[in-house]
Amino acid sequence: MTDARPSRRLAVTGGVSAALVLLATYGVFFVAPEDADQGIIQKIFYFHVAIAIVGLGAFGVAAIYGIRYLRSRDERFDEISSISIGIGLAFSVLVVITGSIWAKASWGTWWVWTDPRLVTFLIVLLLYAAYFVLRSSAEGERQARYSAVYSVAAFASVPLSFYSVRVARSFVHPVVFTQNGADMPNSMLIWFVVTLLATVGVFLTLLQIELVQRRADRALRRVKARLEATA
Amino acid sequence: MSAARPAWRRQLRALLLKDLRLELRTRDTVVAMLLFAIVAMTIFQFAVGSRGEDLTPAAGGILWAVLALTAVLGVGRSWVPEREQRVLDGILGAPVPRDVLMAAKAGAIYAYLLAVEIVAVPVMALFFIREPDPVDLLLIGVVCLIANVGIAVLGSLLAVLALFARARELLLPVLFLPSLLPVVIAAAGATHAVAAGTNDLAEYRGYCLFLGVYAVIFGLVAYATYEHVFDD
Repeated sequence: MTDARPSRRLAVTGGVSAALVLLATYGVFFVAPEDADQGIIQKIFYFHVAIAIVGLGAFGVAAIYGIRYLRSRDERFDEISSISIGIGLAFSVLVVITGSIWAKASWGTWWVWTDPRLVTFLIVLLLYAAYFVLRSSAEGERQARYSAVYSVAAFASVPLSFYSVRVARSFVHPVVFTQNGADMPNSMLIWFVVTLLATVGVFLTLLQIELVQRRADRALRRVKARLEATA
Repeated sequence: MSAARPAWRRQLRALLLKDLRLELRTRDTVVAMLLFAIVAMTIFQFAVGSRGEDLTPAAGGILWAVLALTAVLGVGRSWVPEREQRVLDGILGAPVPRDVLMAAKAGAIYAYLLAVEIVAVPVMALFFIREPDPVDLLLIGVVCLIANVGIAVLGSLLAVLALFARARELLLPVLFLPSLLPVVIAAAGATHAVAAGTNDLAEYRGYCLFLGVYAVIFGLVAYATYEHVFDD
């Protein structure tokens, strides 16, 4: 018999995440004050920044589980690492799209090459897209091992991309979080935190869906093998 | 006394000399890299500067775009002699620590890049900078010395991943170039800071520092993961 706990855990995480997403959407659009400067387009910031943070967090999770795989050679860690990168990649695409919408509204063009942060997110996107190319061209035990090594190497370039923002001097991108804390009133910060939590919830839900699905896949293959053996 | 020298230094020397001697005898890799670099610069000239405009502001960018592509070529070639002659089995079977193996390969890649740059940087100055200044060329040389460290370290790590995978000729550029983008940004910025006539030394130093940080970070990554890239 397969264990029912993961499915139950998935139901709980999914339910809580859905509630948080609804709450965040309501709060951002109906409760949080409208930005005096930018108006309605500023609302996209809540999702844009939250998805960016959780996307980078997903790559961090992937690197940590990559290291855990290398230490233990436990396939479950490789699974979590690769799923996290898939979700992080999807989130990065969303970051670039929402950032592009914001760029159109505030700076008048869809894409601003002079803004290092938008560009570095594109680099991160290319970096992690290559992960799947590597994964598909390695076989057997090498696949997991190489994926883990690459997930660590790729994550090392994420702080570099953030450092490049400071070195290459951004003139355009609004920096929301400075060393003196968040540059926004509390009425906005609360809804930002709710959106961030909702996004974390979405990440965890997607991760668990994929894990449950792969487990089911493996169980099905086991049953099939047993049936073939008895037939 | 050679006997007092630690084993890893002798191994590193032997492996590095093997690569360099092989290259000196065949001249396969460096000559091809150099030709490629000059052809690529010519392509850039026709692609972006064919209307006779002054390309001085773009010179740093062109140089580092060309060098990044050339590096992919060199890194892709770096394990080929071992694979073709089945030397790899011998080396992997010998009691040489894997980190020494990687360091030697990084050293060889560094040497190839430097050999290419000694010719490619003056050619770039000749082709794209209106009034090249010898001091600026020396400063660009320093950028090369720092940037090559990061390129060689990361290259030697990713080259092994590509070595044992399918479609390695395709895989390596896809893996290597995105990770190389920060180097291209910073090295092109540093080159531009001194070559474009502005001589902004503060900016130059900032970019060089970034290249140093890049080399250190990927050095740590390579050190942390090297034992997992070779098959047991």
